[in-house]
Amino acid sequence: MESTIVKAVNYNSYFGANHVVKDVNIEIPKNAAIAVMGPSGCGKTTFLRGINRMHELIPGATAKGQILLNGTDVMEMHPIFVRLKIGMVFQRPNPFPNLSIYDNVIAGYKLNGISLPKSERDRIVEHSLSRVALWGEVKDSLTKKGTFLSGGQQQRLCIARAVAMEPEVLLFDEPTSALDPISTSKVEELFHELKKNYTLIIVTHNMQQAARVSDKTAFFYMGELVEFDDTKNMFTNPKDTRTQNYITGRFS
Amino acid sequence: MTHMEIELQAIKTEVMNMWVLVESQLQKSKNAIMHFDKDLAREVVLREKRVNAFELKIDRDCEDFFAIYQPVAIDLRFLLAVMKINNNLERIGDIADGIAKYVIESLSDFDRNVFAKTGMIAMYEEAIHILTDTRTAFEKEDTALARSIFKRDEVLDGYNLAAIQNVGDCIKKDIEVLNDALYVLSIIRKLERVGDQTKNIAEEIIFYVEAKVLKHLDPKAKQNG
Amino acid sequence: MSVQVKYRIGKSIAFQGLTILLSVLCVVPLIFILVYIIKAGVTKINWNFLTNLPKPVGETGGGIKNALLGSVEVIALSTIIAVPVGILCGIYLSEYKQSKLAYWTRLSVDILQGVPSIVIGIIAYFWIVKPMGHFSAISGSIALAIMMLPIVVRSTEETLLLLPDSLREAGYALGMPFHRVVLKVIIPCGFSGILSGVMLSVARITGETAPLLFTAFGNPYLSFDIGQPMQTLPLIIFNYATSPYNDWHDLAWGASCILLLWVLLLNILTKVISAKWKVQL
Repeated sequence: MESTIVKAVNYNSYFGANHVVKDVNIEIPKNAAIAVMGPSGCGKTTFLRGINRMHELIPGATAKGQILLNGTDVMEMHPIFVRLKIGMVFQRPNPFPNLSIYDNVIAGYKLNGISLPKSERDRIVEHSLSRVALWGEVKDSLTKKGTFLSGGQQQRLCIARAVAMEPEVLLFDEPTSALDPISTSKVEELFHELKKNYTLIIVTHNMQQAARVSDKTAFFYMGELVEFDDTKNMFTNPKDTRTQNYITGRFS
Repeated sequence: MTHMEIELQAIKTEVMNMWVLVESQLQKSKNAIMHFDKDLAREVVLREKRVNAFELKIDRDCEDFFAIYQPVAIDLRFLLAVMKINNNLERIGDIADGIAKYVIESLSDFDRNVFAKTGMIAMYEEAIHILTDTRTAFEKEDTALARSIFKRDEVLDGYNLAAIQNVGDCIKKDIEVLNDALYVLSIIRKLERVGDQTKNIAEEIIFYVEAKVLKHLDPKAKQNG
Repeated sequence: MSVQVKYRIGKSIAFQGLTILLSVLCVVPLIFILVYIIKAGVTKINWNFLTNLPKPVGETGGGIKNALLGSVEVIALSTIIAVPVGILCGIYLSEYKQSKLAYWTRLSVDILQGVPSIVIGIIAYFWIVKPMGHFSAISGSIALAIMMLPIVVRSTEETLLLLPDSLREAGYALGMPFHRVVLKVIIPCGFSGILSGVMLSVARITGETAPLLFTAFGNPYLSFDIGQPMQTLPLIIFNYATSPYNDWHDLAWGASCILLLWVLLLNILTKVISAKWKVQL
């Protein structure tokens, strides 16, 4: 668990002249669930999107510093390659509405024009859907559209879609903020399973969720990484008063 | 099982392990007295450190659990109960430790007649039984069994009330046994405390399972309520 | 209930009634047009009307075969010219909404949409007909294509803008390059919208007469040569309706009826297609 997979070195990002993420240094261990929490506009999502270079898709966005994936700077890799290694799940479930459940799972292959033999595709679909505990629920309706599923199921489908590419790191951008409590707890349970095989970085503005699902927690405030520690330490004995104020709800 | 349930189960297992340890401490201190076995007594004193370590660990785990899962309803009551049970068990561990220290301090073997006349051995065995049965009640969430503890605590109280008379009689008969008799009186007082602690534990079990507060009620109401 | 509340409820009902009345008023002209043209035209339509060429004045029983086929050919040609350009331009506008080029493109397209059709006809005349030396179907198609273009561009852009950004992000996050995100995600998801935009633009230019006057010009004979003048429905209506002969007036009514049915059919088809191909987001 202790070998580092993602490392940020003096990472800064900007929207135009707006300095959103300030000098972040962080080492994220392999096969762990890392929660990134902080108030709205603290730069946590921007930082997350910097890791797989989704940040640069926004016009006017720039970044400085390094994000190292297994020691290689992602800025020197092709973004497409980075995104194959680092999957992402978004705030709202976004299955491809024109594709079936089956095709959604293998969308990363299908839409990228990678052809696989049918048996291999079947294997990937079953494996990925099982990983997200969805196989039992949808195995009889694989040909139905992805949007036919409920919100929580759609989000798990999106996770399966990311998992199907066998990435090393999975980024979650507030993955349950559009879900009801039961779907939320299902997704949270999933994190405990997924971290056995992947490194999870989960942005959440729900600090109870950060506490529940993660091994380590990072607290961002005003673009700075204030504190990064074991979740248990963070929630019982935070070192920084800003962290203490945030998790006890004392920010005005 | 959800991850939270797994963690709760882990805490419960931890408490059970501590419980078994405390029982064996009590059993060993009894054996040390019966056989005037100073080595066994020293072992009990040494193992008291493990009981303390258990207490700290369980406290820490409960703290983490509160911080991380923010439990409610039965989970909340369970954790609150565990924290108090933890406390009570540690006290019982202290009692076993204290009794073992008498064995180490005492210069000569005890007079077995005093043991027999004061009913100390029977009381000792009953105390250990009660502790074991309370553990079963905790493990199985069996509140009927937990309620039966209150009555059995009264038996221990009976021994305790009779102790002054019994010990006095022994001393009147033979002033030579004075030291032993005073040791026995102290031990009986301590065993009475064990009874109180188990009673408190039983109350906590009922609180956790049924959400009923039985503290400070009269004994009749407790057994029915 | 107090008087005041009753008064307020009364106002509310009155306002509701007014809106209903005005909406009905909107439909009335359409109904009148439909009823009138169908009444005047439908009796003229028969199999011969559709399959015969026009006859000279005095002979009865002429048809509009050349105009019908000519219209189909001219419109097909302009669709082929305008649709790829329009769709790609629409994609550019929706994907790079912030860029300078997109701003100017959008402005130009809007202005183009406002250019009167007769002006477009004149432009096509000076640019194509004059250098070629004679009227031609292709010059008509180009003029119509210019008219179609803004409609296709804007409807494509608007359809794609309605697609949530999360869809694009889903594609990018799977490591898809831009062209695949557009071709495999954006276009399939916006397909019904784009298609209905195309259909509406076809419906829109079907009845255009002015640009064709200077370009396709009209032809009393059947011709499939895009380099030569060609007859189309609007032209035949224009020519026959302005003639002094009653026979030809009847033909013009029939052709109008056909044109109207064509446009109506296209509109209905658009509705059906957009409902059927609609991607549930």
